[in-house]
Amino acid sequence: MNIFQRIKKILLALMMILAALIFLVSPADAALLTIIVILALGLAAKGIKDIIFYFRMARHMVGGKLILFQGVLVLDFALLTLSFYNIPKIFMLLYLAGVHAFSGVVEILRAMEARRTVDGPWKLKFAHGVVNIALAAVCMIFISNISIAVLIYSAGLVYSAGVMIFDSFRRTSFVLIE
Amino acid sequence: MQEDFHYYATYCAAFLAGYSHAESLDIAYSAQFVDHCSRTLLAKIKGPSEAATTQLQLELMEARTDRVGLQDITRIWSSFHFLPKDLHAEKGKRCSKLYLSKYRLICGPNGDLVVRTVELAKDKPLQSVGIAMHVLADTWAHMNFAGTPSLVINNTNYVFSELFPDGNGYREKQINFVHKASTPDDLENSIYTNSLYQSSENSIMNLGHGRAGHLPDYSFVRYKYLPAWGEYEEIVKDNPSDYMKAFTQMIFAMKYLRGDIPAFEKNMYDTEAVGPWLGRINEILERRQLIACEDWKAFGEELSGQTVEDYAIDRYFEEYTTSSAEDKEETFLGRFIRGAITHKGMVIDEIYRSGNKLAGKAK
Repeated sequence: MNIFQRIKKILLALMMILAALIFLVSPADAALLTIIVILALGLAAKGIKDIIFYFRMARHMVGGKLILFQGVLVLDFALLTLSFYNIPKIFMLLYLAGVHAFSGVVEILRAMEARRTVDGPWKLKFAHGVVNIALAAVCMIFISNISIAVLIYSAGLVYSAGVMIFDSFRRTSFVLIE
Repeated sequence: MQEDFHYYATYCAAFLAGYSHAESLDIAYSAQFVDHCSRTLLAKIKGPSEAATTQLQLELMEARTDRVGLQDITRIWSSFHFLPKDLHAEKGKRCSKLYLSKYRLICGPNGDLVVRTVELAKDKPLQSVGIAMHVLADTWAHMNFAGTPSLVINNTNYVFSELFPDGNGYREKQINFVHKASTPDDLENSIYTNSLYQSSENSIMNLGHGRAGHLPDYSFVRYKYLPAWGEYEEIVKDNPSDYMKAFTQMIFAMKYLRGDIPAFEKNMYDTEAVGPWLGRINEILERRQLIACEDWKAFGEELSGQTVEDYAIDRYFEEYTTSSAEDKEETFLGRFIRGAITHKGMVIDEIYRSGNKLAGKAK
């Protein structure tokens, strides 16, 4: 990770903490909507970026179609997320908790791969994934009590942000073949 | 390529080309020093940073990957380690200018630039000869990869197998890649270290042959893989054969630089000079080992009858650091620095004049 990547990671973590604070201080529908819109825009930007990259560069690359599929899928998720704009708050929260759990699964898979093939720590990544899934599960259990569910979800965001900040200050394992 | 070829084998090639023991050592040191002359080292000896011929891992970790940062990386790696084969190469299909610019930086032997590289070292100090020999040798080892970070050019995938001679043909064995810098490559089980897959086009992990690990650096290995740029056509890389061509082409090039041959031409190899030692050289090239320094050193000593000093990076540091500003130019490292800047300038200028902006403009 170079300095710019570290700064980017810290900024993202700070935004996650800010979102958690908004949830806690003003758990109004508007706050949840804002998060949904930000998430949708973020996914849309990533999807469009991948699709442009495919047509500009990756279509000549072996396995490049995967980048196109990824872009289309992420863009599709962005549109799906945006379509939740009008649904009841409980479903929005369910969706967000689902996204949180999914990111936990991805984190665990990455940790397992890192354990197998990469030098350096993998336990933090693994623990991060497990905690993400656990928090999402608890959030879903308390989904009938929106204020508690929001509290748990916010705690999950702050935890993830903390791990990201810690990670951005850590020396990274770097395999480069010269 | 590693120290075994850039230092010891280059010594052998120089001696076979007709240089004396002392001259051959100077050429070999200069060839190997290309892999060590980083900005960090230049700062330590108070040399000019524009003479950098390589980047340390730590420097690369902190390297910017914006346009200017990428140009800086490309200047160093394309000039000294991945000399482009054809700056005007065309891709069959229509493609973007950026893609084509990266495609044209793919390294390969017997290109126009390698001829320019050798010609540039003519009538120059031995340090320039060493630099040229490093660049020439790397065109063989690093062919099919580009000296610029690029996923779409330098990536590899799971289609990667090692080839073992078996009767009249070859037996294939799947290569397993891990990303553990602390674990040496496991030659017995074909487990090698490579750089991590990064989906970002300009990630530093996608520089050069990182995704193929150290395989291009081992003279003994033969392998088959799918290069990202190759339209799903497999490439078979026969390193023993390529390294032999590199060795004999170095001898040919140095005979030209000494004035024994009137012109340096592409696809010319001095196979005559290695004739009496062909079996011995093939044996060294084919032996499965992580580094062949000892073998090449013994061969070099047998050739010259002299002791080949081991490579010591700091051999000429004191001479350079203790010289006055006006005398520095004529020290060993002063000449190396001048040669490196001249060579880098030539390559950047050629890339720029081909309409390719990836290396920027020569200062």
